[in-house]
Amino acid sequence: MHEFSVMSQIIEGLLEESKKWSAVKVEEVFLDLGDFTMLGEEQLKFSYEILSKDTILQGSTLTINHVKGTIECDCGFKGEMSPSEDSPHRIVPILECPKCRGPARIISGRECTIKNLRLVVPDV
Amino acid sequence: MHKVVTVDMEKDILAENRRLADENRALLEEHDIRAFDFLGAIGSGKTLIIEKLVDHLKSKGKESAAIAGDVSGDDDYQRLVAHGIPAANISTGKECHLDAHLVDHALEDLPLDKIDYLFIENVGNLVCPVDFPLGSHVRVVVISVTEGDDMVRKHPAIFAFSDVIVINKIDLAEAMQVDPRILERDARRINPGAKIVKMDARHGNGLDDLISALGL
Ligand SMILES: Nc1nc2c(ncn2[C@@H]2O[C@H](COP(=O)(O)OP(=O)(O)O)[C@@H](O)[C@H]2O)c(=O)[nH]1
Ligand SMILES: [Mg+2]
Ligand SMILES: [Zn+2]
Repeated sequence: MHEFSVMSQIIEGLLEESKKWSAVKVEEVFLDLGDFTMLGEEQLKFSYEILSKDTILQGSTLTINHVKGTIECDCGFKGEMSPSEDSPHRIVPILECPKCRGPARIISGRECTIKNLRLVVPDV
Repeated sequence: MHKVVTVDMEKDILAENRRLADENRALLEEHDIRAFDFLGAIGSGKTLIIEKLVDHLKSKGKESAAIAGDVSGDDDYQRLVAHGIPAANISTGKECHLDAHLVDHALEDLPLDKIDYLFIENVGNLVCPVDFPLGSHVRVVVISVTEGDDMVRKHPAIFAFSDVIVINKIDLAEAMQVDPRILERDARRINPGAKIVKMDARHGNGLDDLISALGL
């Protein structure tokens, strides 16, 4: 599980940004998480809680927005991949093009991006 | 007084590793080195396959080097060095994967001007390495029939993000009552663009197929 080390990097980025703005408190952090990453939402949130202790991030909300995995193919297909028959409720990257069965490429779903954050800053 | 502001960041945390991986690839290409990284569960046969490839290349007059990643110890490193090649050992400690930064440091310890091929053995984990490309040209995943015939379905992502899929230990398929064709069919569907090789690394069967799949 690498959520903890990924979250350490996220926290580092957030603290740096908050400092730039002389923030006194962070209220909410918005994270985009691709469906094709191997990062679990629960583990990320747990790591966030632990790692934000005793920083100005403590007590803030981490909001995770899931980004759908999409693929494209030379035949012109572009969109979500076909659901897996074996595990219809799990997100499985299947690179077989649903239209022509040829090999498709991933265009989204591998990101783990800090989108933005809500900060309390001095009003001067 | 204080106010609340919303600040845009647009910072992709995984992108930093991808950037370092691109740097590694550029460094390797500067030295005309072609690099392969091997993924797969502990015991699937990664080290043995690398050993066979190193010997094959040596017989053709080509020089190899290896990077062995392990959670602890240096057993794989010792096995590779015994084949007379330069190697670097990365002990990841608690980390569950190699990353481009660790590989960058290992490259500093290798005589890049003297080698033609580099083999990187990742930590035996089927989940975490997926998010961390290392900068190799070809990613190989090695599974063995002893892991069961639902193995591919259970860990689909690693197959989607690999270029070559090796189904190893087919000499044990009958004894294990596992049909390698099921593994092959599942792998093909998840990644129709990948090359799939069935082999028995212990006895060298299928080694030629792997050699040609890797362009060696
Ligand atoms: N029967 C058989 N044994 C194999 C084969 N490939 C590897 N092994 C054995 O499996 C064990 C684990 O192999 P190793 O290369 O250390 O796996 P790694 O952990 O993936 O690096 C060793 O005892 C190998 O000799 C194979 O194709 N057939
Ligand atoms: Mg090994
Ligand atoms: Zn298509």
